[in-house]
Amino acid sequence: MENLRAYIESGVLELYVLGDLSAEETLQVEEIASRYQEVRDEIASIEQAMEQYALNNAVEPPIDVEQKLFDKLGLNIYEEVFETADNYINEPKIVRLDGSDGKVKTLRYALVACVALLVISVAALFVTYNKLSDANTQIASLNLDKQKFAGVVSQLEYDNKGLSNIAEMAESKEWATIRMQGQPISPNSKMNVYWNKKDKSVLINHLAMDLPKADAEHEYQLWALVNGKPVSLGVFGKSDSTAKDAIIKMQSIQEAQAFAVTLEPMGGSVNPTMEKLTVMGGV
Amino acid sequence: MSALKKITLTETEIVLALQSKDPAVLKTLYSMYSSALYGVISRIITHTELAEDVLQETFVKIWQSASHYDNTKGRLFTWMMNIARNLSIDKLRSKDFKNSQKNQDIENNVSFVDEQNKVTFNPDTLGVKQLVNNLKPDLQVVLNLVYYNGFTHVEAAEKLNLPLGTVKTRIRLAIIELRRSFN
Repeated sequence: MENLRAYIESGVLELYVLGDLSAEETLQVEEIASRYQEVRDEIASIEQAMEQYALNNAVEPPIDVEQKLFDKLGLNIYEEVFETADNYINEPKIVRLDGSDGKVKTLRYALVACVALLVISVAALFVTYNKLSDANTQIASLNLDKQKFAGVVSQLEYDNKGLSNIAEMAESKEWATIRMQGQPISPNSKMNVYWNKKDKSVLINHLAMDLPKADAEHEYQLWALVNGKPVSLGVFGKSDSTAKDAIIKMQSIQEAQAFAVTLEPMGGSVNPTMEKLTVMGGV
Repeated sequence: MSALKKITLTETEIVLALQSKDPAVLKTLYSMYSSALYGVISRIITHTELAEDVLQETFVKIWQSASHYDNTKGRLFTWMMNIARNLSIDKLRSKDFKNSQKNQDIENNVSFVDEQNKVTFNPDTLGVKQLVNNLKPDLQVVLNLVYYNGFTHVEAAEKLNLPLGTVKTRIRLAIIELRRSFN
């Protein structure tokens, strides 16, 4: 071991590290180093010292040398190389795989989310569309109802007007109510005529009549019997609610002994068709 | 510029990547060691352009002969540094260099004489001035001749008119001094 000490102290290991030995001497040092740990340790210490010394005496080379080097080696993709270098640094943390995959993964998730959203949207749209058509149907039926009710209301208004008129006229002293009774062709018919004693005007009220429905070619004609002769007081339409007003003003008559209604062809006749005498009543 | 960013890897990682010819590791290696190697090269070769050429050649050689590196025989940096030193010394002795250095021989000698007189001033070594001055002058001269001027110990012995054994011992003592100061 004394020899080993002397060997280490001879300075040959320093020259070995400095590359200042012949090939033969170098092999000899390597052979001895492979046998003795102390020699290996000594070499390692010398190497570390020289490395430190070099690092402490470092001189930054011009920037373009690196580019030239990579150009010369044909590693022209300088930027890429640099990126790979970055990735290489990150490799122990397995950031590279995660990094590049992460983006794709994120995009994939985003795509799935988009598709899901689209499906949900379509479904929602479909449901909404169904509800909308339901609602439209409801609106249509409600509209129909509304029209029906409006019809009913106008009918009621019409009826109300006629009825209040009858009530008024019944109370008034000016008006005489002539009740006409059904005749043989229609025994159940009846009708009232209102005759103003003062101004001799004649009114009839659709609500105060019960006549058989006239067909399309016929209508009723009111007559006044004056001294045995019939005088036409005008025709009136079908006895239903198609008339605008319940109360119809007929022609005035100065005097009359009786009133009668006959069924006549459209437009009325000059003389009453006696076979079609529907109702009649005396004053 | 991000390219100047210093990247560090463990030696084993570098060696593995280097031997599998991963271009990224060359980038890393350059980032870690180019200045240390250029420090060695530029002191052996004062001519800037030639020193840059040698630095480039050094990395080309590192890249191309990475498979020859055997980590059982020494540290990666020692291997790289010896490539740099050998290429520098080759360059120094080449016709190429002699042509470019014709007018600088005297300067070299002046520098050498200066070192003898302990008035060395090399702006490149400002960072270690303190350290180098802590070495005894006779140790420093020998170390610088061998380490920075590319002299073999035999040449240094001739230059300094010293026995070979003395030069060897002084180199050893200088390195022991360095080891002591780095630890």
